[in-house]
Amino acid sequence: MLSADEAADLIEAIASRQDRAAFANLFRHFAPRVKAFIMRGGTDAEAAQEVAQETLIMVWRKAASFDRSRASAATWIYTIARNKRIDLLRRSARPIDTEDWLVVYAPEEEDAGKSVLAGQTYTRVKELLEGLPKDQLVVIQKAFFEDKTHTVIADEMKLPLGTVKSRIRLALRRLRQALEKDES
Amino acid sequence: MSRHPAPEELLLDYAAGALSDGRALALALHVALAPASRQTVDQLNAVGGALIEGEPEALLDDAALERALARVGKVMVEPRAVPAARHPGFDWAPPPLVPHLRPGMGWRRILGQFDEIRLDVPGDAYRVSLLRLEPGHGLPEHKHPGYEYTVCLQGGYTDATGNYGVGDFAVGPGGERHEPIADPGEPCISLIVVEKPIVLTGPWGRWLNPLVSRGII
Repeated sequence: MLSADEAADLIEAIASRQDRAAFANLFRHFAPRVKAFIMRGGTDAEAAQEVAQETLIMVWRKAASFDRSRASAATWIYTIARNKRIDLLRRSARPIDTEDWLVVYAPEEEDAGKSVLAGQTYTRVKELLEGLPKDQLVVIQKAFFEDKTHTVIADEMKLPLGTVKSRIRLALRRLRQALEKDES
Repeated sequence: MSRHPAPEELLLDYAAGALSDGRALALALHVALAPASRQTVDQLNAVGGALIEGEPEALLDDAALERALARVGKVMVEPRAVPAARHPGFDWAPPPLVPHLRPGMGWRRILGQFDEIRLDVPGDAYRVSLLRLEPGHGLPEHKHPGYEYTVCLQGGYTDATGNYGVGDFAVGPGGERHEPIADPGEPCISLIVVEKPIVLTGPWGRWLNPLVSRGII
């Protein structure tokens, strides 16, 4: 296992001295996990591996833009993997470099003190996901794993749209409570 | 503080990467301008991170790391990125809009009432446009057979559902008639994503709708 701090250290080592050993460590930890995550949505192993590979290459290129005070390594890598999935699997006709969220949404004063998203986030979010009622968890998982909108999820699960919306809102309320608990 | 945040289920669709490009752009602009929604998206991204961290390792073929190391040997680590520079003449455009602007892009007057710039955004939206209304001016009365997503980028407007300022997000349900009027002050500029051609419902609608549906106006 790689702790959140260790993972952030590795990204910073890439940024400051193009550290290949740090990249190899990061790759060993995250590439197989990104691949597994992408495969959950039904993507075949080969395409998922390509997404994982391209995600980690992007981590190398953009390492200097990583800001450990705003996001954990896993969170940042998730956003890169999500964008790579969009570029490689959905937009094959017209690949574009989707923007990096840490850069586009540079923090403003209003955000100061709100970034509890690094450090212990993983443990708290994991606890939250484990504690969610099954019907809420399924909707959240389908969105992330299968890259589907809530409308499509409602359709597939043969649920009224309002039911899916209220499950999402309940899950988000719990998420907010879990993440803001330690802030005060 | 955004008085009209995007619905949470749309923030989830956005954070999960499930939206088509036009709607993703609308959400990106809203999130750039509305701190509370930005925080929700940050939290959802953390869920994505936790889901990746919690994955069991999928087998990766042995050569994958070697190939990746060979690639990064030829790729420079880029300097810390900065948000895209403002586009001349479009000082009000938040960073996520900048990549969609082109030199020479200009406002086009429509029906003598408002100005439009159509954006070239791939995906399933019928039309992605910037609309500009002079203070006190409105759009012709119309309704939408499909959903409409609006993000206010400058000034403000008022319609039957409320008053909207910079960063506010509105989802127009299909079939609803509405007639937004720009607030006093600077011109109101919004990004509008419509899924289907609008239908004009005012006195001239009968004559103009065929042109609207053919994309002429």
